[in-house]
Amino acid sequence: MEDYKYLFKVVLIGNAGVGKTCLVRRFTQGLFPPGQGATIGVDFMIKTIEIGGEKVKLQIWDTAGQERFRSITQSYYHSADALVLVFDVTSKESFNALPSWLREVEQYASPKVISVLVGNKIDLGKDREVNEEDGQSFADSHSMRFLETSAKESDNVDRLFLDIAVELTNNVRNGEIRHDDHEDIIKDTTSVSTCCKG
Amino acid sequence: MAAATSSERFGGAVENLTEISEIQSALVKLSKEEQSVTDEIDLLLDHHGHLEAKMNSLHRMGPNLQHVSTDAKKLSGMIGSTSELAENVSSKVRQLDLAKSLVQSAIQRVNDILDLKFCTDGVQTALQSEDYEKAAGHIHRYLTLDEKVLKQALEDAGNREGSSIDASLKVLHEAEHNLKALVRKKLDQAISSSDRPSVERFFKIFPLLNLHEEGLTKFSTYLQAQIVSNAREHLEIASSVDSSDRRAGVLYADALTNLFEDVGKIIEVHQPLVETYYGPGKLLTLIESLQKECDRQAQKIIDKFVEQRDFSRKSQQVQLSLTRTTYKSSNVHDKLDPRDLDVLLAECTLLNTRTELYLRFIRRRVTSDIEVCDEDGPAKEERLSSLDRMLRDCALSRRMQEIIGNYIVMEEYFMRETVMKAVSMDIIEPGSHTSSMVDDIFFILKKCTRRAVSSGSVDCACAMLNHTSTLLESDYRDVLYGKLRAGFPSGSFDVSQAYSMLQQGRLPTSASDTNAAKLEFLTTLNNVEVSIEYTQTLKKSLVEECASLVSQNGGMSKDKLDMCLNELTTHTHKFKDVLEYGLSQLNTSAIKPRIKPMVDVFLSTSHNISEEEFSNYEANDPFVQELIMNLEQLLNEFKELLTSSNYDALVSLLTSEVTVQLEKAVLKSVFNRLGGLQFDKELRSLVGYLTTVTQWTIRDKFARLTQMATILNLDRVTEILDYWGSNSGPLTWRLTPAEVRQVLSLRLDFRSEDIKRLKL
Ligand SMILES: Nc1nc2c(ncn2[C@@H]2O[C@H](COP(=O)(O)OP(=O)(O)OP(=O)(O)O)[C@@H](O)[C@H]2O)c(=O)[nH]1
Ligand SMILES: [Mg+2]
Repeated sequence: MEDYKYLFKVVLIGNAGVGKTCLVRRFTQGLFPPGQGATIGVDFMIKTIEIGGEKVKLQIWDTAGQERFRSITQSYYHSADALVLVFDVTSKESFNALPSWLREVEQYASPKVISVLVGNKIDLGKDREVNEEDGQSFADSHSMRFLETSAKESDNVDRLFLDIAVELTNNVRNGEIRHDDHEDIIKDTTSVSTCCKG
Repeated sequence: MAAATSSERFGGAVENLTEISEIQSALVKLSKEEQSVTDEIDLLLDHHGHLEAKMNSLHRMGPNLQHVSTDAKKLSGMIGSTSELAENVSSKVRQLDLAKSLVQSAIQRVNDILDLKFCTDGVQTALQSEDYEKAAGHIHRYLTLDEKVLKQALEDAGNREGSSIDASLKVLHEAEHNLKALVRKKLDQAISSSDRPSVERFFKIFPLLNLHEEGLTKFSTYLQAQIVSNAREHLEIASSVDSSDRRAGVLYADALTNLFEDVGKIIEVHQPLVETYYGPGKLLTLIESLQKECDRQAQKIIDKFVEQRDFSRKSQQVQLSLTRTTYKSSNVHDKLDPRDLDVLLAECTLLNTRTELYLRFIRRRVTSDIEVCDEDGPAKEERLSSLDRMLRDCALSRRMQEIIGNYIVMEEYFMRETVMKAVSMDIIEPGSHTSSMVDDIFFILKKCTRRAVSSGSVDCACAMLNHTSTLLESDYRDVLYGKLRAGFPSGSFDVSQAYSMLQQGRLPTSASDTNAAKLEFLTTLNNVEVSIEYTQTLKKSLVEECASLVSQNGGMSKDKLDMCLNELTTHTHKFKDVLEYGLSQLNTSAIKPRIKPMVDVFLSTSHNISEEEFSNYEANDPFVQELIMNLEQLLNEFKELLTSSNYDALVSLLTSEVTVQLEKAVLKSVFNRLGGLQFDKELRSLVGYLTTVTQWTIRDKFARLTQMATILNLDRVTEILDYWGSNSGPLTWRLTPAEVRQVLSLRLDFRSEDIKRLKL
């Protein structure tokens, strides 16, 4: 078993084709997958990072945006520590869908969840249909953080996930929320260390 | 000779001399000449010896040079001839080569021409005798001939031969054309009249005419037609099944199964035919078009299922009531009875199980067909990924994903509603530690999650595992916590009255119902404790259920399932917190207030006693027997009503309370030596008793009191040093030095100066 201090669940949601899978792959594998097919159901990846000298493990759930997978996706909201709501800055439609995504979040997610709004594909400057101010003001009015990214050019992608990890870690450290998995992790690691000594 | 010559030379001149002077001058001249010649001869004679020696040495070299010269000549001759030879040989080889290839191509051409003639004759007779296989064989042979070469031969051969070849080619061209048209027509006819032997017969001919793709396409039309007619039958049978039939509830799953079995059988039967006559690697093409028909037929069945089972309406109703409950205005009337869903849900999962099974079959078949043709690299990758695409994007997959999407919503609804119903119909039966809802709820959870796992869809299983975790961790936990929040009512407790009250279905409402409320509280404690255990058991059984799902899907699906399975138990500490909370409530209202008066009897029992009093105590115990009796009575109120683990926890809480109170009482009392002995006896009885009532060890809780008894039993103050510091041995002191002094000072017979003087 790996050793890590904290484990957080991050769930990406948003319309089909906005680039959720590309963001996750860029962050976890450092690549921009060519010919990325639509996600079926839910995929998941793990990435361990270091925050202030401590290992933080991010469990990233990449959900399918297509309508018929909605009930599968929704089942992951409740246990999420952070929700990343993604739209495509070159698609007004994906931006217009945000309120209905937020309704789902409200209905299923834990009130403690951190949510971040992400406008992706800023490398396609000339096709832009949603400008930064609109994204920002939507985020402001729903008290979310906002970030514009490009999975293709690797713009702001690491920052997106690192910021989330830092915020969640700080929340646990400050005892604002009592993190559920924390104790189990401590237990796990001690059991491992004793079994290694033996 | 010189003289002679000169005389000759001069002869005429001398003879012609007439004047003496002239003669004299001639004489002088000649004399001079003679002199110089003589000189010259002398000089030459002088050199003679030297030359002689040189000549000798040259003479000696002579024969050697002769050798060298002959050798060189020989060598040059040899090289010359060798080179000539080589030149000869290589040119001959070249010539031979050329000759050979000419001969070969001549033979080839002759053969080709012979074959051509043979084919020409053969194809005609074969066509006449309707031996299409043979005709196609000839055409196949002809198609392998290099027509360009034949045309060349035609030109070379001049008119006579040439025109005959030309004619043959023409015949064959025509025959090819005719045969193609013919087999097309024949196959089409055979297909439309479902003449199976003819279909297979003409299907085999297509690849001989280089018409692989066309053959496969036509053949799949034929197979598609088979699928269609079978499917129609299945659907007819399905719609005529009586509602009382054993399979009535899974009619459409059965119909779909039959469809898949048909397609599977068709593939199984015809794959060898395709592989033999069309070669490996052709299955994907065939299956791609079969899948299109399978998609159409499956859709029909699913449409029928949706229509007949009222699927859309039910799922909409569920959606609606889900959003409604969030607005807290659920209307009982148009709420769907979960029991109406049970059968439908089972059929949904069965539909998907069958689909997954079928798609896996297709994947296996096509993959191994692709593996057989030993292509490598990108071509193979491309085939495999187009297989992936087909399986992922086919209408069947999409449709089933929709069904499963709706299934999950309804299953969650079913689970939640049934669980909440179990909560509302909760009853406490005498003799059972837990109430009915615990078994009921875990039965429901197990049923729903197992059903989801049985769908064969990893995402579906994960979704229901997630919902189960959520339900346990928030809704169910809230129910339990809510029941404990009211606390444990104080006052006396009559269990049998509680049962009768609860059995009348009355919920404890007024103060007079405290018996029932108490029973409910204790039962809830048990419910919490047992629920933790049941959650572990549920997880364990689901891990087993999921094992087959993992082995079918592999890779990522295992990680996903593991994550969701682990989630089930990561929240058990929340239940433990609830349990702890409940126990502390119980402790506060039922244990603590009753312990203090029991222990306080100690204060009114003198421990400054004479021998006589001491032996009197032996006969009539003043304190501890009564304490034990009271404790036993107190514990007996709970013993039968709590699970053993909860009872042990209660004993532990009670023990802590007893020790706290007793410590206080001891510190308020005074002792002499015999009183100390008495206290020691009392303590031993108490510890002895409590040890018998619990599985847990309680001795540790008495460590401080035991050490106090040790101190109160000392003969002298300084004797403490035998047990202190480096003399403490295995004993770990739980009392601070100040506390030791305090306890020592309880002994009336110890002088305070002695105690002060102690170095601890
Ligand atoms: N130019 C550009 N294209 C992007 C970017 N991110 C994603 N794309 C493209 O957008 C398309 C969809 O990307 P995905 O990552 O599959 O989208 P998704 O949100 O995961 O879609 P679903 O899985 O169907 O929900 C792909 O063709 C990507 O190549 C980006 O930052 N810039
Ligand atoms: Mg995706």
